[in-house]
Amino acid sequence: MWRYGLAIWTAVVIWAVFYLVPPAEGLGELVRIAYFHIPVAWVSVLAFFAAAWWACRYLKSGEGQDDQKSAAAALLGFVFCLLATVSGAVFAKLTWGAYWNWDPRQTTIFVLLLIYGAYLVLRASLEDEDVRARISSVYALLSVVTVPFLVFVIPRFYASLHPEPIINRAGNLDMDPVMLYVLLAAVIACSGIFFWLVSLIASKQKLSAVKVKGRLEG
Amino acid sequence: MPQNLLLWARAIQAVLKKDALGEYRSRYIFASLGMFTLITLSSISMSLGGADLPASLLAALFWVILFFSAMSGLSRVFVQEQDAGTLVALCIYAGAQAVLFGKLLFNLILLTGLLFIIVPLFILFFNVQVWHWGEFAAVTLLGVAGLASVSTLTAALVTPAKGKGTLFTVLTFPLLLPQFLAAIQATKQVFSQVTVDTAYYGFMLGYDVSVIAAATILFDYLWRE
Repeated sequence: MWRYGLAIWTAVVIWAVFYLVPPAEGLGELVRIAYFHIPVAWVSVLAFFAAAWWACRYLKSGEGQDDQKSAAAALLGFVFCLLATVSGAVFAKLTWGAYWNWDPRQTTIFVLLLIYGAYLVLRASLEDEDVRARISSVYALLSVVTVPFLVFVIPRFYASLHPEPIINRAGNLDMDPVMLYVLLAAVIACSGIFFWLVSLIASKQKLSAVKVKGRLEG
Repeated sequence: MPQNLLLWARAIQAVLKKDALGEYRSRYIFASLGMFTLITLSSISMSLGGADLPASLLAALFWVILFFSAMSGLSRVFVQEQDAGTLVALCIYAGAQAVLFGKLLFNLILLTGLLFIIVPLFILFFNVQVWHWGEFAAVTLLGVAGLASVSTLTAALVTPAKGKGTLFTVLTFPLLLPQFLAAIQATKQVFSQVTVDTAYYGFMLGYDVSVIAAATILFDYLWRE
């Protein structure tokens, strides 16, 4: 049932992005890219922590389901990360004049892309199911320890062209309320799509595992 | 507790001694690390033809050379056990934690030894002036400690995998990147004769401690059969 809700919610968000949101000062119609770019970038970070969370649960419980969810989150994280990188690069070209300039957030998203890539290669090169689950869980958790350091170290090296976060350091919102609500709705829609896809991929893997087992047993 | 600690230290020492003895007999890792360093250093120096490089570029080159040289040999500590089929037995007899710290110390000693090759050659080839030797030593040792601790755990991760060598580099690089960037910036300050920002020491130390803490917690899960 909630899947239909998600579909309607997403449709409304898409409608709002094109018809409700006013063109932004300085950016004009280009601002509509942000309603894709920000949620997708948010999900690529969310997926990173989700993969680690399920990895942690797998290491504690040993349930194959948790490992499949962790792997699905990492795979989707890779896809969302790619989308965020590409949409961000296009947005940067149109507004700042260059596709890539090692802006702090570009650097962080690039490192996430490297980690997801490494995780997927690692999984692909391990054959035994149990070993694969254990080792990739350990890698997911190890990366969660090291990546936050980037957040501290990077701002010292590169100046940012990115606008301040929606809720800036002073704690007040300086955004048109319509834009803000549509953006938050888009973030919720995107997160919803992420969790739906995780459960879809994880259950599909479980199904194929059952099929293989059935075939082996006769 | 001190009794336990003493036993533990002795187990680490035994693992370290075993690896050191094996390495002394074959000299495989150190020779490959050293040759790799020599080739990278000389090829860069040769292709530059004695050009005068700015401090930022020198610092980046120094760490890139160190990183890739390290990647050519550090995974050996676990891969060699896997090849010989002795890894599980070693973990049972010595205890997983002792194996981790023994191998970590072994890698740390190897890398420190490697520094004694890289640093003189680097100074010789690139005509670098190091004014603060104490600071340079502190920066390189903190950086190398991070490199050794991350790569010891990733070496353990790649042992059962196919295509170990490439995978080892691919896995280690993104995890090491925060440390790598900080080390390059700090080294740049050393090469440009500026006092190193204390924040870099704090950052690198914090990174090293967190990675070692994570490694010791996660390592146990690798051997739960």
